[in-house]
Amino acid sequence: MAKPIKTVSTVVSRIEALGNDTKRLTLVDQDDWELPPFKPGAHIDVYLEPGLVRTYSLCNEPEDNHRYVIAVKREHNGRGGSTFLHERVRVGDQIGVSIPRGGIALNANEMNVFVAGGIGVTPLISVVRHLERQGRTNYVLHWMSRGRPVLPDMIGPAIEAGRVCLYDTTSQAKPSIADIVKECADFGFAACCGPVPMLEAFEEAVEAWPDERKHIEMFTPPKRIVQSDVPPYQVILKVSKKSATVAPDIGLLGTLEAMGVEVPVSCGGGICGACRTRWIEGPPIHRDRVLSPAERQSELIVCVGDCAGPKLVLDL
Amino acid sequence: MNFESDTMDATAAENSKVATSWHGIVRFLHITPRAFLPMRSFPELQLIAGRGIEGDRYLIGQETGFYSHKPEEGRQVTLFEMETLEAVRRDHGIELLPEEHRRNVTVEGVPLNHLVGRRFRLGETVVEATRLSTPCRHIEEILGKAVFDPLINRSGLNCKVIAGGTLRVGDLVRPV
Repeated sequence: MAKPIKTVSTVVSRIEALGNDTKRLTLVDQDDWELPPFKPGAHIDVYLEPGLVRTYSLCNEPEDNHRYVIAVKREHNGRGGSTFLHERVRVGDQIGVSIPRGGIALNANEMNVFVAGGIGVTPLISVVRHLERQGRTNYVLHWMSRGRPVLPDMIGPAIEAGRVCLYDTTSQAKPSIADIVKECADFGFAACCGPVPMLEAFEEAVEAWPDERKHIEMFTPPKRIVQSDVPPYQVILKVSKKSATVAPDIGLLGTLEAMGVEVPVSCGGGICGACRTRWIEGPPIHRDRVLSPAERQSELIVCVGDCAGPKLVLDL
Repeated sequence: MNFESDTMDATAAENSKVATSWHGIVRFLHITPRAFLPMRSFPELQLIAGRGIEGDRYLIGQETGFYSHKPEEGRQVTLFEMETLEAVRRDHGIELLPEEHRRNVTVEGVPLNHLVGRRFRLGETVVEATRLSTPCRHIEEILGKAVFDPLINRSGLNCKVIAGGTLRVGDLVRPV
């Protein structure tokens, strides 16, 4: 049986060296079909090779829907993702990516203040391009870089129009983030993406603000939330003699997949019954809409199931 | 849906010769070449007997769809009701567009849930309904809209192509 397709298939159409150890990659469909839509400031997971998946913000805007553009700064002491992209990836390579997630919810009428540090500007480049394309000027981007910034060509009109404040921190003092966001303290919206000290300063400055008026973009975004509200428990596979901890943000199905177990999932929502699995010890939590009360005594729909106790033993 | 019942006299009624029928219309046509990619609208599509739709991800022999690892003869062409789009908007406040439900043919006036196991005409082509479609979480992931529950029991129809040909927007849908 063929393997399930779990990623969007893209081709690297362009690689540009931007200086300062940064490369910009353009990913497209092999037939230039539209790619799955995204929101301004969204990110994708890039599947570089087995076990090497990295998340990058998209730099282009949602209206530019035939390509995904990412910019990657090489981290010499990183975990290997940026080095792989810099050294191994070539134009014409096929790369699987996830459906875009996340995005930055802007204020349509009031002022939007963006704060970026270095390559952390990438999601905000997407936002600025989106706003400029819509003819909206109710924003300002404060962008701090050590030396020359690497992506100004993507927001040239915004820079020329004075809606971007550039700071070279090798020759200028870093501005006060508290002062920057002060201009929309009582209304409007503020977002920040950059190194940890910058995020901490921003977080402190907007601490009292309501959540809907602020956004902090981490370099490593949190994992996608799945429907699980139970404490972690142990899943034990009796036949294959494996065990693992099921964490709420991964869920039972995600854990089984991570353990390398081939579960025939189809709907993913507990209505088709494709992933029904015999359970031996529990008690399991049933959230499906296919099993009868009698069937639930011995079977579990694992795509939506969980365990009410510390240990779930499955006949797998 | 247009039900057309002949006027019956008593004799006809006694003989149970009730001629009840329906007909509908093709409103939208969509395909996509690969899993996850957006559906694109076309004014006409080519249906190939026994295989599916030219250029679509579930064309048999060239499968690249999300479910292609589970081969299914009856997934050659999929249909969806316009009326469901209206119901999802009315009952759940969700704007689901014709290009978003990820079926190939959006029809109006066709009782899809009653056609399992039956053959009917799509324009000049003939298809046979194999089973009701089921919604999947995959569509929620792609759209970012909570449409899984609203689409239960009204997620369209899976069919195989019996007689191929050109299918156009505006074509009639009717019994064989």
